Amino acid sequence: MATQSGAPPNPTDGDTQKPELAQQTNQDQQESRAEAPKQSITPSVFVNSEPMREEQVQNAVKFLSHPKVRGSPVIYRRSFLEKKGLTKEEIDEAFRRVPDPQPSAQAGNVNQDGQVKSSSNNQSQAPVQTLQPVVATPTGAMGTLMRYQFHWSHAILAVGLLAVSGAGTAVLVKKAIVPRLKSWIRKIVSEEENDLAEKGGSKPSLAEEAAAAAKAAAAAAADVAKVSQEMLQSRNEERRNFEEFTNLLDVQVQEMKSMTNAIRKLEGQTSAQGRSSFIDQEDHKVTISSSQQPYVNGKADYDLRSVRSSSPPKTAEPSIAPHPKSYMDILAMIQRGERPPNIKEINDLPPNPNQQPSNSRLAPRAKPWEYSQAQNMSGQALQSPLNVEGLISNVQDNGINSQLNGDNSVPWWARKNVKITEIENEDELKAGSYTSQTSEKPVQRTWVPPRPPPVAMPEAAEAIRRPKSSVQKEQLADDQPIAHPSNVTDDLQRITKISESGGDVEINGGSSVLNSTEIHEHGNGFERSETGIESV
Amino acid sequence: MPVFKTPFNGYSVKFSPFYESRLAVATSQNFGILGNGRLHVLDLPSSPTPQISELASFETADGVYDLAWSESHESLLVAAVADGSLKIYDLALPASSNPIRSFHEHTREVHSADYNPVRRDSFLSSSWDDTVKLWTIDRPTSVRTFKEHAYCVYSAVWNPRHGDVFASASGDCTLRVWDVREPGSTMIIPAHEFEVLSCDWNKYDDCCIATASVDKTIKVWDVRSYRVPVSVLNGHGYAVRKVKFSPHRQSLMVSCSYDMTVCLWDYMVEDALVGRYDHHTEFAVGVDMSVLVEGLLASTGWDELVYVWQHGTDPRAS
Repeated sequence: MATQSGAPPNPTDGDTQKPELAQQTNQDQQESRAEAPKQSITPSVFVNSEPMREEQVQNAVKFLSHPKVRGSPVIYRRSFLEKKGLTKEEIDEAFRRVPDPQPSAQAGNVNQDGQVKSSSNNQSQAPVQTLQPVVATPTGAMGTLMRYQFHWSHAILAVGLLAVSGAGTAVLVKKAIVPRLKSWIRKIVSEEENDLAEKGGSKPSLAEEAAAAAKAAAAAAADVAKVSQEMLQSRNEERRNFEEFTNLLDVQVQEMKSMTNAIRKLEGQTSAQGRSSFIDQEDHKVTISSSQQPYVNGKADYDLRSVRSSSPPKTAEPSIAPHPKSYMDILAMIQRGERPPNIKEINDLPPNPNQQPSNSRLAPRAKPWEYSQAQNMSGQALQSPLNVEGLISNVQDNGINSQLNGDNSVPWWARKNVKITEIENEDELKAGSYTSQTSEKPVQRTWVPPRPPPVAMPEAAEAIRRPKSSVQKEQLADDQPIAHPSNVTDDLQRITKISESGGDVEINGGSSVLNSTEIHEHGNGFERSETGIESV
Repeated sequence: MPVFKTPFNGYSVKFSPFYESRLAVATSQNFGILGNGRLHVLDLPSSPTPQISELASFETADGVYDLAWSESHESLLVAAVADGSLKIYDLALPASSNPIRSFHEHTREVHSADYNPVRRDSFLSSSWDDTVKLWTIDRPTSVRTFKEHAYCVYSAVWNPRHGDVFASASGDCTLRVWDVREPGSTMIIPAHEFEVLSCDWNKYDDCCIATASVDKTIKVWDVRSYRVPVSVLNGHGYAVRKVKFSPHRQSLMVSCSYDMTVCLWDYMVEDALVGRYDHHTEFAVGVDMSVLVEGLLASTGWDELVYVWQHGTDPRAS
């Protein structure tokens, strides 16, 4: 991957951390950037310029060597490392270092000797092109996959341990505790026997004792049975009483019902249904079931945008925003397989795929940030072709470079205090309606020509801007504000005209004619005393 | 302030770079889950009536998730459609001739479209199929495909100063900076711990870029020292859906979020939140600042309304 040579960003790094003086320092950077690589205009600032961090690379190698990681697609490994903050070079180096028996999922370019000859770009790009992400949430998928596998093995281990421990405790209980119980019982029995023996009575045989005990138990049981029977009886009685009571209540209620019905009939009202429901509610003491559907608020599984299979931007949201109820309804409908009813069959294909677009009537307008750039470049040597590109399309960079380099002392490119302009604009805009001001672009020049009056009719404004094909070139040649060298190109004229004319620039893509003189023509009172342009 | 009611749920709104009073809205039926789409082109009234008028509208078979105005042609529009296609519309042609092109290469929904403001001849599309594609209107197929992200690419935005540089924000939580002259990305910034939904370049500092994420924050980065963000802006209650730098003020940006608000931020100031508008009653999904009229804001949301108002005024005032 080509990293940028050329202007090192180091000199600019130090003094441009905070873009407060951005405009000034921007120009510095652009100058330095543009100065050094005259042959390539690529801004080196958009490239990682740090050297490879060995520690990061080693961590990455360890990560990539893990057997679980080996089984995952390359794109997920790269994504994981990228999220850890590794640069491309570091990731490529790590891939290079890891001896890599490629799994079959990867296409092509497998080097069995462990040295990835082809750049790891190919390694990542080819399998990426053949693989499609299958998992709905691939972010951190590798980590989770590893964790899941750990969970499974952990679970199995845990179950095994539990079984073993259960068996062990069962055995222990059998072996240790039961004998203890038995011995304890024997001790008690033997003590009783000893007591009885000490009393000296004729030894009552065990059988007699057992018989006596049995009798006592039987008696107790009989008592218990009696008591329980009595309880049952009483319960039955109570139930019967309760039923009688409820029946009586029902009878009363029905009588009341009929009476009320009769009354209402007499009164002639007709909302019997509502009332009956009301009465039913009293009868059955039914609590009113919630008429609101359960608001699936934050609990839905948002991965199931089943039509847009699993790619809404909320798959790992910290707190899921409550969705509108109808959104949830539609989701539910689609999950059930129903198609929302309001969808029409529309044929939106182009009727003529080779249809030519209409002719453009307006020329592109310069952007506000390009103005300020042009302003700030005025006091310094114009070297960056990028500014000019911003102002002009289809310009040869080399040509501009050489041209602009010679124009360091363009006097009317002096800077204007940008802040004042902005405040002015603000006030104007806040006061009036937005459409009435068609010329409120931030005009940043020290000698501010009076603004074109606000256009009362927008259509007129557009008509004004329509490019005229009349030969303006001669006029421009006459109207050069400064004593330019005679070999100045149209491009340079355009730059000057842009600043002069308050930004209503006509830059046609094809022609090289600048039609800013139209603005002059409409009598805006430009007094080009300095420049000597005749306002026709 | 003017309001427009769209029949479908709003997804994106953009001002025209040619006409101060013109803007376009991308909408999708049924919240974009499944249904048709419509692209509206609106004109702001010249007298302060509250009604925005519709200049044109185009129906599509699937939802329109984003749009881009051409920077070279005042009547051309690019629509990013949920069926994976990009459609070009020409307002100057009758409705029966539209769309004039349909480019169908993406295999998943196209989530964003952005037109090159420097070169003015090409545009980018980013899709849920993890790729970004570069197109020109006159070519029937894409010029380049950039495939490095590991998940949906939600946004691809050109650098306003360098016509070959762009940035892409993806659900794989990274922000990538690309150069079309290079085969792959030139920088990978692990911007957030959650999906990055939007990014935008600072118009006045070409190394400054902001990202908006599901983690409710907006981070401002300097690509020269990208390990630590320049600033982290908190204040939204839910995921931030879109962020846009002001074309007129260096440190001003606007954002919209699923917390239904549109917020203005000045990231150079201690208390960064400088404005908050809660006019939407559903997710605020699209927001734009006009390049031609300083301070003019537009927003749209799932409540099917498009608001256009001047910063400092109440969007719902009539």
